[in-house]
Amino acid sequence: MKPIERVTLTLQHKEADRIPVYPLMCGVARKLVGAPYPRWSTDMDVCAEAYEKVTEEFDLDIICTLIDLSVEAADFGQPIIYPENEAAHPDFHNYMLKSIADINALQPIKFKDSVRMKGMVKLCDRLMKSKGAEVPVVAFVFGPLGVLSMMRGQANLFMDILDDPDAVKNGVAAVTETLLEYIDALAATGVPAVMLDTLFASQSIMRKSMWLEFEGPYVKRIAERIREHGAQVMIHNCGNGIYFDAQIEAMQPTAISFLHLPDDCQSPQELKEKYGSKVTLIGRIPPTWLLTCTQEDLEEECRREIDDYKAGGGFILATGCEYPANLGFEHARTMVRMAKEYGKY
Amino acid sequence: MQVLQAISQALQRGDVNGVRQGIATALGEGIEPKRILEEGMLSAMDIIGVKFKNNEIFVPEVLIAARAMNAGMEALKPKLVEAGIKPIGKVVIGTVKGDLHDIGKNMVRMMMEGAGFEVVDLGIDVAAERFVEAVQEHQPDILGMSALLTTTMGEMKAVIDAVADAGLRDQVKIMVGGAPLTQSFADQIGADVYCKNAAEAASAAKQLVL
Repeated sequence: MKPIERVTLTLQHKEADRIPVYPLMCGVARKLVGAPYPRWSTDMDVCAEAYEKVTEEFDLDIICTLIDLSVEAADFGQPIIYPENEAAHPDFHNYMLKSIADINALQPIKFKDSVRMKGMVKLCDRLMKSKGAEVPVVAFVFGPLGVLSMMRGQANLFMDILDDPDAVKNGVAAVTETLLEYIDALAATGVPAVMLDTLFASQSIMRKSMWLEFEGPYVKRIAERIREHGAQVMIHNCGNGIYFDAQIEAMQPTAISFLHLPDDCQSPQELKEKYGSKVTLIGRIPPTWLLTCTQEDLEEECRREIDDYKAGGGFILATGCEYPANLGFEHARTMVRMAKEYGKY
Repeated sequence: MQVLQAISQALQRGDVNGVRQGIATALGEGIEPKRILEEGMLSAMDIIGVKFKNNEIFVPEVLIAARAMNAGMEALKPKLVEAGIKPIGKVVIGTVKGDLHDIGKNMVRMMMEGAGFEVVDLGIDVAAERFVEAVQEHQPDILGMSALLTTTMGEMKAVIDAVADAGLRDQVKIMVGGAPLTQSFADQIGADVYCKNAAEAASAAKQLVL
């Protein structure tokens, strides 16, 4: 069975030949093409080659085009640092939105004037041409509240929400307008799905009602736009106590990539029972744990998760967040082997 | 005392001006600075810590409470110094080298200050040798380290090794925390305490010194 057939059946909550697998191998793929992080992040031919190689070498069932969380903010004008061995990030000493007034005055930018977002579209286009017939290519987009935080600083933004809610909503609305254009361009490449990172929709950050007020309506529009293009909506959120219910209501995703149990589930069994028929579950090997675990530990964890979630389809074995960018490849190989051997239906 | 209650409530809702005004009123009424600190501010931070731990409040609410606490401490500190009030312990804290994230570290600092500790905050991107220097200089009871990235959490072991190499390991308890960390990682690098969140960190720190 081809990965695209396997994943399609899984997303339809049907049992394929086995569970699909994709350790979220993004930055680590740069090693396969010998590129330093800055080049991998900014040269989309290099990035595409890395994604192609990692997909082929590890026989991955999905390509998810996460590069870093600064792609969108960079195009708004946020100064970005590109470290040699880790993901790009905003210059934390130089946020472009220096006050609540700056947030309030933020204007959408035109996609045609972007650089990094255009790069992401180029990446998706190339991957669709080289791999799209066999492997689902999922475009990765940061949610609007997250993008705003990259320009203002998370701590500042969280306090702004309480100090001047309307100003923050104006900022999120401006980012959303740009993201809608971005979605149009991504969808034009033919990607079958877009994964929205809703970083703040969990108990790790803010209460559910706050997320529903400050990002919910905006990601709802984005999700609707994705579906208008015939693509599927997926969510990534690695927070603790993730709000499955609120996000399903707002975005109607077909799949959720997660690390921790949702706020309203006490066990994997409860999660599978409550949400297993509504969304495909993608996860949830802890990536940081991979830094210290043994191969035997990982095999055991894979077996446990496969047992917890695989019944009736609707489960993709993955890391709960990005595979550590400076880790070796052995644990990824183990995950793929476990999916092939133990994850058979 | 009504004014102490007002300070506590203002702090809990993150009302900087309310805290400042309350402190000025309390001092004007002749209330001892120590009592203002303990009954007006530290008690409020205890409540914030418990609510945060129980998921009744979240990061934004804690951050504005921290801002109010800092404003209150600025106003009260000269009076506390005059009165010779001592902290319950000293903590050196920082985010490890290569890591520029500070929300978690700042929340731990605030919770520890709220628990009555003096906190020396080394900031972000702190090299191992800087942690060692700070332990030598400030002689804290506790050294706290934060990391948010899988690419930087390994630096924690370098700090612990550097503290040991400097012959200081027996003089200081080492606490670690940060989103990607786990108890097993903390055990593996030789930390004394791992905490899942800022509220836990303050409780654990108190247990270490009291």
